[in-house]
Amino acid sequence: MICGIDLGSRSVKLVLLAEGTVAAEKVLETVDFYRTYGRRSEGELAIDFAALGLGAVDEVVATGYGRNTLDIANATVIPELKAHALGAVWQTGMKDFTLLDLGGQDSKVIKVRRGRMVDFQTNDKCAASTGRYLENMAAVLGISLDELSRYSENPVELSATCAIFGESELIGRIVEGYSVAELAAGVNYTIFKRVRPMLAALPSETVVFTGGVALGGALRRIIEQEMGTRVVVPERPQLNGAIGAAVYAWEKREKYVARN
Amino acid sequence: MARYGMTTTVPVEIILAAGHKPVDLNNIFISNPEAAKMTETAEEAGYPRNICGWIKGLYAVVVESDDIDGVIAVTQGDCSNTHALMETYELAGIKTIPFAFPFDRDYDLLKLQMEKLMQALGADWDGVLAVKRRLDAVRAKVGELDRLTWRENTVSGWHNHLFQVSCSDFNGDVDLFEQELDEFLAKAQHAPELGEDLRLGFIGVPPILTDLYDYIERMGARVVFNEVQRQFAMPDAPDDIVEQYRRYTYPYGVFRRIEDIKAEIERRNIDGVIHYVQSFCFRQIEDMIFREKLEVPILTVEADKPGKVDARTRLRIDSFLEMLR
Repeated sequence: MICGIDLGSRSVKLVLLAEGTVAAEKVLETVDFYRTYGRRSEGELAIDFAALGLGAVDEVVATGYGRNTLDIANATVIPELKAHALGAVWQTGMKDFTLLDLGGQDSKVIKVRRGRMVDFQTNDKCAASTGRYLENMAAVLGISLDELSRYSENPVELSATCAIFGESELIGRIVEGYSVAELAAGVNYTIFKRVRPMLAALPSETVVFTGGVALGGALRRIIEQEMGTRVVVPERPQLNGAIGAAVYAWEKREKYVARN
Repeated sequence: MARYGMTTTVPVEIILAAGHKPVDLNNIFISNPEAAKMTETAEEAGYPRNICGWIKGLYAVVVESDDIDGVIAVTQGDCSNTHALMETYELAGIKTIPFAFPFDRDYDLLKLQMEKLMQALGADWDGVLAVKRRLDAVRAKVGELDRLTWRENTVSGWHNHLFQVSCSDFNGDVDLFEQELDEFLAKAQHAPELGEDLRLGFIGVPPILTDLYDYIERMGARVVFNEVQRQFAMPDAPDDIVEQYRRYTYPYGVFRRIEDIKAEIERRNIDGVIHYVQSFCFRQIEDMIFREKLEVPILTVEADKPGKVDARTRLRIDSFLEMLR
């Protein structure tokens, strides 16, 4: 079985691929993952697959933020954007789309044509359009992420350019008496305003939306309404990078089999 | 012999003809192992955090040095931060001489600026032209190094950057610079061909990152065109020195730069371009113009302070190279 690992800044995602289908999946907090299942040996990170309870793994492909900073023992590493493009193609069966991936600290927009990445943009120097911002804002509003992601109607205007100052701005709005629904919609719109220029720069008829942030419905509705594009959220948006990593190895095997 | 700092490329022939030593403050700043600390020095003095790292470095280099006798500051053709930089130099008791590249490349205005600089430093046309002839010979050799980079593939992107960027002040000693250049060329002419699979162009101001070229080469690509650095080197300088500084693209707006970049992308068979932008720099706006006008894939890399390429930027470079493959 092939294990795909996406080492994210907030969570580590693992999937097992067997015969071209997802046989098992796991999402762990990044710190817990390294602390509980990782062991450093000879400059590499050895992962305890037995303890993870994922069964027999004969090939590991890793990707994600951690890829540059550590080597995983016996793993192939592939660039993150490539993994995400592969995962989205595999999950949706589409070949031409713009992929929007919003993760813990990342916003990525990838233009995919004929199943290949042809251009991309990512956030840089600022994480105000990412999952971490939503987590902070949900905490300020005293609601769960899940609830935050339900609201898209009557958004409150929020203008701070910084995710940290955004908190005090939100508190100011709470004092002004806006409802939680309006405040939450305002937060979701803030994310949209950040990613809109990236989506506009790499347009397609369909947007495939992945990453932890895609689990909620509000942003998907906002993008559809505001940009008039179809937005597809695949079955496992948060696992997209890990799936792509596993698919990389699986497709190689398929090609090998086809050749021989 | 006085030592004159410069905030960016100015007609260095004039400083040398006046018998002074030119010092490109950018090169002094970035080659100092404590460069990152120098930007903090400027912040401690009161420079805002969200201002260009180069400007902060230029400030610290001069106020912390006791052997810079004055600074020639480019007040037009570089950036308006330089105006406030000059004022804070003056506040610290440092003499400054302004130099302006006319926005419309007007020949007479540029000539007048050069004459005013000659007057300020004590040089005349005969002297300046004699120095020009001397420098043109060195500039041509740097042009050969550039040719070895993209045509013979025996020079790394870093060395291409280093020798060309040094042509702003010839490291303050033309003879020594030429000697080092000759030695390098002698080796490079017989060096084995470099075997990278992707050829990149680097456009924008020189990077504040210290290992960008190394990182790119470790990932199997090589920079074979350094746009602004090549402009500093002026390898095919015409006989008329005023014309030479009119042809120099960097101070005069983006569209002439684009013509130059397009021609070199074609000539050098470039697969993709890295557009380097300094954090908080007005040139970040021009990124959208490059994206519209250049027909090759572009990766925009931004950095703020001196140091190694950070993990995020490495990730973006990896993905860009992967995409080009």
